[in-house]
Amino acid sequence: MKQRIGVYICHCGGNISDYVDVEQLGKLMAKEDGVIISKDVMFACSDANQKEMINDINEKQLDAIVVASCSPKLHTHTFRGVAERAGINQYNYAQVNVREQCSWAHSDKPMDATIKAYGLIRAGIGRVSHSEALESIEINTQKAVAVIGAGVSGMRAAIDLARMGSHVYLIEKENVVGGKIASTGKLFMTGENGKEVIARLYQRIKEMNNITVFTNATLGKVSGSIGSFFMDVNVGEELLKLNVGSVLVTTGFDFYEPKEGEYGYKLSENVITLQDFNKLIESSNGKLIHNGKPIKSVAYIYCVGNRQSKGDNKYCSRQCCTAAVHSSLRVHEKFEGVKAFHIHRDIRTYGKQELLYQESSRKGDIYIKFEEKDPPVVELKDGKPFIKVKDYLTSKKELTLDADLVVLVTGMVARADSSEISSKLKIPIGSDKFFNEIHPKLKPVETVIKGVYIGGACQGPKNITESVQSALSGAAKINAVLRKGSIALEPIVARVNADACAWCNKCAEVCEYDAVKPIESNGKMIAEVNISTCTGCGICAPVCPTNAIEIAQYTDNEIESMIDGFMSNGDIEARELEHGAKVKAGKVGMMECPEIWNHIIGAINGSSLTIPEIAAKTGIESNLITWHLMTMNRYSVVEPAGLNDEESYYKYKLKK
Amino acid sequence: MSHINSNFAEEIKKFGAKDFHLCFNCGNCTAICALSTKDESFPREMVRYSTLGLEEDIKSSLKPWMCYYCGECSTDCPRQAHPGELMMSLRRWLTSKYDWTGLSGLLYKHLSAYIIGFLLVIVGLIVFAAKLEWNQEKIMHFGHLFEMFAIAGVFAIILLPNIFRMWLYTIVRPKVKATVKVYYKAFSELLVHMFTQKRFLECEKSQETQIKWFEHFILVIGYLSLLFTTVFLDWFGSQNMFVIALGYIESAIIFVVTFLFILKRAKKTEALHKFSQPSDWFFVIWLFLMGFTAFFVRLFIDLNILESNFWLFMAHLAVLVQWAIIIVPFGKWTHFLYRSFAMYFAKVQELVVKSKK
Repeated sequence: MKQRIGVYICHCGGNISDYVDVEQLGKLMAKEDGVIISKDVMFACSDANQKEMINDINEKQLDAIVVASCSPKLHTHTFRGVAERAGINQYNYAQVNVREQCSWAHSDKPMDATIKAYGLIRAGIGRVSHSEALESIEINTQKAVAVIGAGVSGMRAAIDLARMGSHVYLIEKENVVGGKIASTGKLFMTGENGKEVIARLYQRIKEMNNITVFTNATLGKVSGSIGSFFMDVNVGEELLKLNVGSVLVTTGFDFYEPKEGEYGYKLSENVITLQDFNKLIESSNGKLIHNGKPIKSVAYIYCVGNRQSKGDNKYCSRQCCTAAVHSSLRVHEKFEGVKAFHIHRDIRTYGKQELLYQESSRKGDIYIKFEEKDPPVVELKDGKPFIKVKDYLTSKKELTLDADLVVLVTGMVARADSSEISSKLKIPIGSDKFFNEIHPKLKPVETVIKGVYIGGACQGPKNITESVQSALSGAAKINAVLRKGSIALEPIVARVNADACAWCNKCAEVCEYDAVKPIESNGKMIAEVNISTCTGCGICAPVCPTNAIEIAQYTDNEIESMIDGFMSNGDIEARELEHGAKVKAGKVGMMECPEIWNHIIGAINGSSLTIPEIAAKTGIESNLITWHLMTMNRYSVVEPAGLNDEESYYKYKLKK
Repeated sequence: MSHINSNFAEEIKKFGAKDFHLCFNCGNCTAICALSTKDESFPREMVRYSTLGLEEDIKSSLKPWMCYYCGECSTDCPRQAHPGELMMSLRRWLTSKYDWTGLSGLLYKHLSAYIIGFLLVIVGLIVFAAKLEWNQEKIMHFGHLFEMFAIAGVFAIILLPNIFRMWLYTIVRPKVKATVKVYYKAFSELLVHMFTQKRFLECEKSQETQIKWFEHFILVIGYLSLLFTTVFLDWFGSQNMFVIALGYIESAIIFVVTFLFILKRAKKTEALHKFSQPSDWFFVIWLFLMGFTAFFVRLFIDLNILESNFWLFMAHLAVLVQWAIIIVPFGKWTHFLYRSFAMYFAKVQELVVKSKK
């Protein structure tokens, strides 16, 4: 138990104190058990206050601090720093959010905002009074990286990782490097040849002595955790064992393969995919000839296998519109008099790629827009495609057109073997079957597995620029982890009470990170937590039948004292705040249930009533009744009791 | 069901259309157009039809004639697709489709055809004058007779059948079932629009539009009344002071207004003057020359110096004949008729739709 706690409540220059009675809370908290000093301060994060806090800690011999100010996202590290500089453990500090959660959220109800702040600060005090000193976990890291997939993203990232000093193992399943780009002709925007781009990257890779390329290589068993992963790699017949500090996954994507008969695919030689069409463009000279016949008109059908409202591929593949428009421009560039019809659902040539679309319109390409529910129909007349389409830009007029060739602009899908990679590395897969990052905006290349990063199109559709960007971002992240030779991890992880544990396996079953393994200890099997893989998610704690596993900083003592602090009452005086908000006098504290629940319970009593009946009886608006009744149902205060006589409303009764 | 004709873009470009296929269908043109309504929406629809080459839909539409080319759509087009100029080109194309002789299309597409036509007229006139042994009196008499017969002939042989074809394309083939009563009820629309160009005023409510409309209006009135004054009041032969003065005023109006028009086309400051086609130039220049030469022919008569300057009358006659047998039946002159008939037919369509409800 901490007995010498300091509490600092921040005004945030009015952001908080305009709606929360900070001054009064400051005085009230001084009376709490174990609180030696309690202050309201203008800006808790200011240098002056930080110095004052350090002085207080030293003078008053404080052993824990509570700061009630803004979100922990903003200043956790600021005040951990204060604690550390003053000589107390940084985990003996608790942050309470009275700005985002009180003053900002309840600026219309200053009294309630103050009551809520009162409860939250007391919970914070309760928490630190049971907090423990913790040390961050130091892990040694191998200065080696496995990059899985030697496409353009993997190759480019490998070069940067190697330049930053790590040894890179570039692992490629195929017998050559380069992935999809190696077989692509001219690339859009830059006009370079895909093969040449890959050749250039490969040349640089060969020149570096700290990149080892394995082709015909597949990933075997993977174990270990951040800083030291052990992976088996099968290269041909040979089995290699690698020890790497981090893994970058750049396995790429597959092109959607149209089903037989989808827009006439495989029923006619004159229906081909964009990839095959690009090969045709590159290999033809002078005249565009397919199967011995000159091609004078091409119909491109967009969004094939993408943007489906039903099915897995709901997303847009981003690069296909531009790729198709670019192919059309390539045709105009190489061959004379080929007409182009772009049958699309929207043209998404975003950013600078818009210029390609403009150029194609200028060349006289015809754009026809369809909707998913009215897809174009490709009929074959003696093998020659004849297309019917409802054009949404011409008031859904039904149009027909002949085309010598139909090109299916297919989207990107996750690789067929992505689930295999996912199960080996434990990377979560989304409903679209691509790998999932932690947060699309804030942690875009990190996975929930520490030390495993994703880059390129294995994460979702991207063009080359975007793929390389994300892979390089992953490389930079990896370098930040590996460069010092060791890393510090948060000590907020699960720990096992060896005496209580009877190894029932329940915690290992629920652990999504494979962090719990059995070991023998004093003649019995108990659970052991791998602290470098454990994320401190806490899922193991509630399933343990003997209460033998708990999470540091979230122990039962801490959580229970937080709840107690939150629910207790205190007295408050009536006051007017600076900008006119008023606080009433009286008992304050969190209610066990909203007042309205008591009205609802009183109205229902022994009977069973419908929502309109309760509304009529209590005189409270029925939408408010509905909202609260649903919550009461969720928390088993009430339960449904069948339909009423007209079968128009459910009746509700109290649950015993 | 309509078949896409990607060659139509090339065809319509020969009639003056610019980069209309740059259109990405944002609809700004239709939104900004003061004349476009929910039921009669343009120009985007026409741009779309042109891109897809839906000739039949364009041929049966009156919308190109509903546009009076204020040029706002072209100014505000984010893609510089010049929808206004496309509407203008469609009017030229429609004119060539209405014309049963096919000569309109030939003249619109080939400047050389115009020049050959003009030269042939001059040669014919010289041959004819030589036949009359350059007898001034006989030639002037012929000139007067020619006007009467040319008007009647061109109207009966070319213009009337063309209007009939326009009616066929826009009313009969789209199966607009109109009773005689409807035609009678809508008839006032034809006269109002023919003589006032009222719709022009609705283009944009500004003083500028009003001035533009007024210039056009007095030009039409000046032209029609000069025609009447020379043909039926025999301006060149008249001794009546009132008739003489009237002719002077009318011809002066024509050459002053057309001179202003020529200047505007040369300056290209407004969207509608940016892409003048030969047919536009010939129309204003010949109208100017007609007014100008007529004015001076009469002046020379009054000063008694025409006999010694008979070349002037010959020049006037040449311009007149070129005007009457080339520009009126096959050139831009026809917009005078098609615009007003379009308003008439549109009213007929509207009344039929209303009666169905």
